[in-house]
Order: sequence, then structure tokens, then C-alpha cells
Amino acid sequence: MTTQPKKRRGRTKLRRRVAGLLALGIALMGVGALYSVLVPEPQTAQAQQDPVMVREGAKIYNNTCISCHGANLEGVKDRGPSLIGVGEASVYFQTSTGRMPAVAQSAQIPEKPRVLSPQEVDAVSAYVQANGGGVEMPEEKGAALRGEDPARGGELFRFNCASCHNFTGRGGALSSGKEAPALDGVAEEEMYAAMLSGPQNMPRFSERQLSPEEKKDIIAYVKSVTDGNNNPGGSPIGGLGPQSEGFIAFVVGIAALLGITLWIGAKH
Amino acid sequence: MSRDELVKLGSKLDGVELVEYPDPWPVKGTRAEKRAERMVAFWFALSGLAGLAFVVAFIWWPAKYVAPDEDGHLMYSLYTPVIGLTLGVAILAVGIGVLNYTRKFVPHEIAVQERHDGGSNELDKATILANLADAGNRSTISRRPMIKRSLAFGGGVLGLALTALPLGSLLRNPHAQSDNKDGLIHTPWQHTKEGEKVFLRRATGTDEVSLVRPEDMDAGAMDTVFPYREGDTAHDWTKMLLRGDSPVMLIRLRPADAARVIKHEGQEDFNYGDFYAYTKICSHVGCPTSLYEQRTNRILCPCHQSQFDALQYAKPVFGPATRKLAQLPIAVDEETGYFISTGDFIEPIGPAYWERKS
Repeated sequence: MTTQPKKRRGRTKLRRRVAGLLALGIALMGVGALYSVLVPEPQTAQAQQDPVMVREGAKIYNNTCISCHGANLEGVKDRGPSLIGVGEASVYFQTSTGRMPAVAQSAQIPEKPRVLSPQEVDAVSAYVQANGGGVEMPEEKGAALRGEDPARGGELFRFNCASCHNFTGRGGALSSGKEAPALDGVAEEEMYAAMLSGPQNMPRFSERQLSPEEKKDIIAYVKSVTDGNNNPGGSPIGGLGPQSEGFIAFVVGIAALLGITLWIGAKH
Repeated sequence: MSRDELVKLGSKLDGVELVEYPDPWPVKGTRAEKRAERMVAFWFALSGLAGLAFVVAFIWWPAKYVAPDEDGHLMYSLYTPVIGLTLGVAILAVGIGVLNYTRKFVPHEIAVQERHDGGSNELDKATILANLADAGNRSTISRRPMIKRSLAFGGGVLGLALTALPLGSLLRNPHAQSDNKDGLIHTPWQHTKEGEKVFLRRATGTDEVSLVRPEDMDAGAMDTVFPYREGDTAHDWTKMLLRGDSPVMLIRLRPADAARVIKHEGQEDFNYGDFYAYTKICSHVGCPTSLYEQRTNRILCPCHQSQFDALQYAKPVFGPATRKLAQLPIAVDEETGYFISTGDFIEPIGPAYWERKS
């Protein structure tokens, strides 16, 4: 009689402990499961590139970019802006067109022969993308970035781009010594990267503002009017529209007529 | 009198003496003459052939646009040179032919004409005056006031009518084309009825309705938007695109710049966060001022280099413009999440006109 309660007490103690442990375990697992279900994916930039490439990019960055953009992409006052959030599209555009690394501070960093090789450009892009995040390059390359409908691209170009780059991509002046460059010889990837990242004073065009298809149509249009594709008359005379054409027709035409008149008169 | 004699008499009456009047080909039928004749004929024939080629090319040459990477682009791109070249050669050849003919076959005479002294002699002057006065007197016009007055009336009115004809075409009523009598003050952004939603629609080059949400634009972006009301047809849209007063620049400032914004009195709630909407029409002479520089936050007008500061209610900071760009009050529609305008511009957009107060 006396042992029975004791025994039962011992059993219940063990059972309580086991049950307590089990409850704790279940509770912990439940919390863990709930946590993983409820807590959203972290919004921080994630390194998804090849780590070897990122390391390679870090090396190049520390050799060529660090003095103006800082050790942690944070920028250096009065020298260069922060690169956090600019993304690989921006790095791709700036370095593959030779604008970066820059030689000197000026109203606008000019285009020049590229300093970094394509592999180095990819590596630095990967490094900046891995550490700062931002807009990424499209998957397609080259002619795959030309859309189906250059006519619609032309409409979009005139609405969004022509005010600075001229109707046929001849470029034009901006304020205080800056300029919108001519679009001759600009690669498809560079155009796409420029639209995405808004280099220097160019506005940015996100994928929601101009969809990838619209961007590709714009590229198709630009390609159809640049690189000598738009001079059915033999010479585009600057491609600036009626002003230059009228001026040259007037000057050359009047001079020729004067010459002929003088020639006719001189013969007699 | 024979023709030769008549020619001579005419010259003599005019006081002209032909010193030299050689026949260009005194010996007929030489090889040089034949060659000159063939040369002229060649130019005229060439002109005819080139003109014919022009007509053929103008009608049958492929003039329709062919993209550079498609077949037939070369033929298309030759269209302009071909019609220019053929027509040019046709005109030039006619000219050269005529020149050649004149040089080779028209005699190059040397004529001497006596120079007259200026002014008529006194007797002529006196007699002609007397003649005119006598004619006027004999017509009895000075004694017939009724005829004089009616002639003055008829002639005067006719003169006025002839002046009104060219002047009238210069007079235009600037309000005649607008939808309401305040057409210069209001734009299509004006709400026509209470609670109307006027959305900001972007142009995509298609009839697809593309409205703008705040998340569509990155910081440092600009979009050109036009007014859109629910139920607008493609025809209404075309009308909006064609209207000079509808385009608006929707600008999303970069956050660091947005913190430095200075707002104009009375326009404090016209923006939506970092989004500011300004008319695209320059306040100088109405050019589209859409060269937005996202880092300097300047809006540049390409016509006369006026610059407006997007951080300071688009006030002019350089160039000939003296008024700020009108700002459109915008908000986000709570139901749909799209941008809407909460009203029209509070001031006229674009350049000055006579009735403009500001």
C-alpha cells in the first residue's frame, strides 16, 4: 500500500519530466517552424555570384576604384559617389565605355578607350553587385537585345530619349558643359545598362517604367538610325534636321550659282 | 521693206549702231560646226533620258522603308539618291545645252548706243503739264461734286477692302479653338465634374492604357504623362497627345535631393512624396523643356537654354525664361494605386499672352 503511491509518484515524476521535455521540444520546433514560415526573406543584398569572381573583382576594385569610391563602396566626399545600390548594370556601363576609371573631375566624365578588360569589367560588376546590390544586367547579349518593333521603339524614343539624344541619336548639349552623347557605335548591352542605371545625369528607366520589351524596341530603333544606317541621301549632314540641311543647301547652292554666273560672265 | 532693212531701221531709230555682227559659222557645214551641233543635241537628249529615268524611278523604285538588316535595304536606301541624281542631271543637262547653244550658235554682236542726257527739256515739261491740266478741265470733273464724292466713296471702300484682305488673315481669335472660353488658362487636366479622376497616363506608342504607379519609377527617373479619364477612347487619347498643353513631366527625385526641396507658397501639397509633376511647356516661348538632369536636378529647355531648378518649384535659374514652370497637383488614387491629378494647374502654362496677369 505504501509502495504503490510511491511507485506511482515515481512514475508520474518520470512521465512528467519526459512529457515536459517533449512539450519543450514540440514548442521549440513549433516556434522554429512558425519563425521560418512567418519571417520574410531578408531584403539584404546577397552574394549570388561566383565567389572567385567576386574576390577577383575586389582585387581590381582595390587597385583602380578605391581612391574615389572608398574601401567599402561608401564614396569619398568631393571625389566619387557611393556605389552601394548602383548595381552591376551601372558598373558595366561606366567601365565598359571607358568612362570609369575616370582621369579627372569634370562637369561630365568623358567616354574614352576602355581601361578594364571585359573579364575585369565582369569581375568588378560582380563585386559591386555582391556588396551593394542594385539593378542587374539582362540575360541576353548583343543582337538578342534588339526588339521586334523598331517603329514602336521610335515612338518611345521620341517620348523618352529624343529630347536629349536628338531624334536620330545624334546627341545634344546639356547645361554647364555637359552633353548627351551621340549613340553611334554604342553596344546593345551598354544602351540597356544606361537606361536601367541612369549614368551621370541621364534619368533612370526602371523595368516597370519601360518594360524590357519596350527597351529592346528602343534599342532596335536606335540601331536602325545610327552607324550610318540613316543616310539614304548619301550624307546625313550632321543629322540635325532642317537647320543644317537648309544652311548647307543655301551656302553651297548660292556659292555654286555665284561661281557658275561668274564663269558664264568671264567667258565673254 | 525686207526684214534686214527693218532690223537696221529699228536699230537706227534707237540710236544703236552694230559695229560687229559676225556669223559664228561663216563657212557652212564644217566638221567643227557639226560637232558643236551634236554636242548641244547630246545635252538635250541626256536631259530627256535623265528625266525619263526620274519618272521611272519615282514611280517604280521601292520607296517604302526597309530596316537595315532586312533584304532590299540597299535598294530602299538608294531611292533618294536615284531620284535626286536623275532629276538633277535632267535640269543640269538642259542648262548646259542652252548655254552651249548660246555660245556656239547665237552671234556675239558688238553694238554701240548713244547715251542720252537725263531729264526732258523745259519745253516738253511745260507742254505736258498744260496738256494734263487741260484734259482735267475739259472732263469737267471739278464742276461735278456728286461724281467726285461718289468716286471717292467707291474708291475708298475698295481700297479698304483690299487692305482688309491681307490684314484680316493676320487677325486670329486665340480662344476660338479652345473648348471653353478660358482655354488659355485651363488645360485638359482641368476636372470637368465633381469627384472626377484624371489619371496620369504614359505614352507607349500603342493604344494600350499604361497608367503610372509610384513604384514604377526609380529614384532619379522622369516620365512624360498625359491626362486620362476612365472611358477615354483611342481617339480621345490621340487628341490628348496632339494638344500642346497636356504633356507633364513626372519626376521622382533622389531621396537625398528631395530632402533639400523648397516649395512655393500655395503649392506645399502638390507633390506626392518625392514625386513632382511640372508642365513640359517652357514659360519662355512654349518649347518642350524635357531635358531633365537627374543629378543636378536641372530641367533644361533646348530652344533657348532656359534652366529650371526641380528642387525649387521649377523656378528659372538660367536663360531667358522668367516664370516658373507650372506645377500639377498630384496624389495617388486610394482605390487603384495609380497617380491622379487633384486639379488643374493653378496658373496658365507656357508663354505670355495679352491677357496674362502673371
